[in-house]
Amino acid sequence: MATAPSDYALQEDFVASEQYEVGESVSLWQDTWRRMRRNRLALIATAFVLFVLLVAIVSQFWTPYPIWKQGVGPTYQTPTLKHPLGLDQSGRDILSRLMGGAAISMEVGIGTALLSSVIGIVLGLLAGFYRGWIDSIISLVINVWYGIPDLLVVIMIVVITGRRELLFIIIAISITAWVNMARLVRGQTLSLREREFVEAARSIGTRDFSILFRHIFPNALGPIIVQATYLVPSAIIFEAFLSYLGLGVPPPNPSWGAMTAEGYRSLQYAPHITLIPALALGLTLVALNAFGDGLRDALDPRMRR
Amino acid sequence: MTTEQRVVSDVDTSKQIALVRIEEVVKHFPIGAGLLGGQVVKAVDGVSFEVRGGETLGLVGESGCGKSTLGRVIAQLHPATSGHIYFKDIDLVTLKGEKLRRMRQQLQMIFQDPYASLNPRMTVGDIIGEPLTNFHIARGKAREKRVNEVMRICGLNPGFISRYPHEFSGGQRQRIGIARALILNPTFIVADEPISALDVSIQAQIVNLLEDLQDEFKLTYLFIAHDLSVVRHLSDRVAVMYLGKIVEVADSKQIYDNPLHPYTKALLSSIPIPDPDLEAEREPILLKGEIPSPVNPPTGCRFHTRCPIAQFPICSEQEPPLEDKGSGHQAACHFPGQL
Amino acid sequence: MDGVSFHVDRGETVGIVGESGSGKSVTAMSILRLVAEPGRIASGRILFGDEGKQKDVVQMTDDEIREFRGNDVAMIFQDPMTSMNPVLKVGFQIKEAMAAHERFTPKQARDRVVPMLKRVRIPAPEDRAKNYPHQFSGGMRQRAMIAMGLSNEPHLLIADEPTTALDVTVQAQIIELLRDLNRDLGTAVILITHNLAVVASLCTRVIVMYAGRIVEEGPTRQIFKSPQHPYTWSLLRSIPRLDEYQHEKLLTISGLPPDLTNPPPGCKFHPRCRFRVDRCLEEEPPLGEVDPGQKARCWVLMRNALAAQPQQAGQP
Repeated sequence: MATAPSDYALQEDFVASEQYEVGESVSLWQDTWRRMRRNRLALIATAFVLFVLLVAIVSQFWTPYPIWKQGVGPTYQTPTLKHPLGLDQSGRDILSRLMGGAAISMEVGIGTALLSSVIGIVLGLLAGFYRGWIDSIISLVINVWYGIPDLLVVIMIVVITGRRELLFIIIAISITAWVNMARLVRGQTLSLREREFVEAARSIGTRDFSILFRHIFPNALGPIIVQATYLVPSAIIFEAFLSYLGLGVPPPNPSWGAMTAEGYRSLQYAPHITLIPALALGLTLVALNAFGDGLRDALDPRMRR
Repeated sequence: MTTEQRVVSDVDTSKQIALVRIEEVVKHFPIGAGLLGGQVVKAVDGVSFEVRGGETLGLVGESGCGKSTLGRVIAQLHPATSGHIYFKDIDLVTLKGEKLRRMRQQLQMIFQDPYASLNPRMTVGDIIGEPLTNFHIARGKAREKRVNEVMRICGLNPGFISRYPHEFSGGQRQRIGIARALILNPTFIVADEPISALDVSIQAQIVNLLEDLQDEFKLTYLFIAHDLSVVRHLSDRVAVMYLGKIVEVADSKQIYDNPLHPYTKALLSSIPIPDPDLEAEREPILLKGEIPSPVNPPTGCRFHTRCPIAQFPICSEQEPPLEDKGSGHQAACHFPGQL
Repeated sequence: MDGVSFHVDRGETVGIVGESGSGKSVTAMSILRLVAEPGRIASGRILFGDEGKQKDVVQMTDDEIREFRGNDVAMIFQDPMTSMNPVLKVGFQIKEAMAAHERFTPKQARDRVVPMLKRVRIPAPEDRAKNYPHQFSGGMRQRAMIAMGLSNEPHLLIADEPTTALDVTVQAQIIELLRDLNRDLGTAVILITHNLAVVASLCTRVIVMYAGRIVEEGPTRQIFKSPQHPYTWSLLRSIPRLDEYQHEKLLTISGLPPDLTNPPPGCKFHPRCRFRVDRCLEEEPPLGEVDPGQKARCWVLMRNALAAQPQQAGQP
């Protein structure tokens, strides 16, 4: 009679599994990095973003000249060795101000991305997971909010309250920017909650809170990170626009938007005052978007369009 | 030589105690809510049977018969539309919230798809150990020790405790799913087609593992499958389901040797045997058509549209009840054993 | 797939059995030269036709291969939905399959649609011809696919897991249909499957594949009665049987099929083989004749293994 004593069978499976079955261990992030490395544009973008971030951090401790100090040289001076990016209409060192502006842009961008992501993720998770009346209310808010122009809301908040400090700007932009994140997370949650591993989690007595944050959230993390990455440049340009209108961070803080606006009057005879911050802004936005695209493709090749 | 034979016992089975009693369980899913409104899929439509302590009850049927839905309703993953599910005399249907969650320690499920039922972002150790965390049974080193133990029992190398599910093969993933179901020492496990997604040469490993675990931990299984050969191999008793109803329940031996319901008989005759000589002699009873839609099941006996021995009008008008046709062999047919 | 050679006689039913990744589907695809990039037929010949006037599929031009597919050989797949156009009526698609080749005039083709559907036992074929594929159930779709495949009266029908997605009662209907078509039309059938029992009920000859190689080949009865390769032998003992009365432990094949990008040395089955000898680890055995009509790729062979270890002997 054909027999296979159980101990023998288990032992044998065991040995075989060690020898042949499991491949090398690759985590999601290693895998993502591996794919990202092959995308040259994304790599250049990543390097540029890291560079801007580094400059922003350095500016908090050191700039060639004090950011706010006027008359460190002749006004409207074009680039020289002492002032590689020239001086502005008040005789301030543009390189120093550009560095300070990088810090403001990054603070607004990352701050807004974080704050609006938290709002969007929590509301999206709740709406997608519990459905029913919770979803109805949140979806209604999302849809109404979606129909109102963001800029209008932010300008009204700033004008009505009259507060223009950085944190307040971040809060004002976040109040409008969470909508897309909430939509995305709600959609992800709706589909993930039907997956069998969520069912399995319920069958082993996992509480709702743990299902949300241990099972659903980590599996939606890829798209969430990509979406958050795109939030950074949109917040930066939002802030630049506010500053351009004179509603952003108050002078003499060197926002790139404000710098562009200030130099506009002297565009004909000192174009560098406007062009340099505009270029910095443009390049940073392009780099952040390319970084987001690269991350999206690397995180999930199937998402590529 | 160890021959592990589990010959069907001759003990009077009626004296065995029911661990799970399912009474008139109904599960309807609403579809296409809106203008048309009110259409429902009658996935499970009034089902009663019991699972006895320590046995394996095989639940078989073709796709769309409602067996997986029934399994999920019993495992309390879908709420029943109506009916009662008694587990050790506690009606699970009335339990809610924390009480139901506590009950899950004794009631576990093994899923069909070992790729979909494991969270891809969690390590194997976290997946298997999660039930311990949920019920605050063990944490840290103690949890790891218990996870190691269960992994070893299930034929997994504990050295892979911090690997991710995608690094494992289908068979190993199913072992992970089994380990997760086992770690709380449950008494009752619903196994929903646990081997049908696996390669042929791997299926036997999992079947044997399930058998070993049952012997060692005195488990009671509800084993859901469409493969009647596997069910025969594993089950003490078998329930056959057709279009949301149980059509026959009996001891495994009775049902395979002497099926009373024409559907069971046709189902059995349809399954090829890996023996060319036997196959040459067998003549399958070919049923007409395919399983009807559970949205509008046929009137009377639901099988009458495909039944080779249906007689009209009785079969198309009167629904035959599931009743004892002698020595505990239950069948729902007006003309049992006549095919 | 590596060094696979076999033949199919006119009107024969041959089963190719193997697990996923064993190369059984690739083998069949190669016959139609349907191997997807980056796969390719690196060497070898695929001959078709009568002795003396054979054509080599590998050497055919693109026009010839198009003519060859459908006309001489037809193929049906596990999921018929993927191989039917969802926006065209079933009857029209069958007509098109005939129109693509020039065996029938357009009128003949039109007239043949309903009889073809009737032949594969689709009820109310006149009405059904006007349906779209999604209005068919799984079993009916598979029948329609068979009708389409057979519409040009090919000599060979390749069925790749034709019943895997179907329920057992429907599977029985399809097997019965294939058997009848083979008998009535004389169409040779290659049935690719992982299900040994289906092979036992339909095929007269079996080819067992493992890790891209044929490991055993021979008449069905002989293979099932006295398999000589340990893989075949183990496989037959690892599946529960409907006619098995006792609860007896199943035999397990430990481990996994090998990773074909990095196959083990020697015999590809040796890591999972309970009868291996030292030679198996180093040298790959040839596919040698072990009995009249039966070939196996093994240094040991089951008859020797069982003689040496009588406690392993047993009824299949």
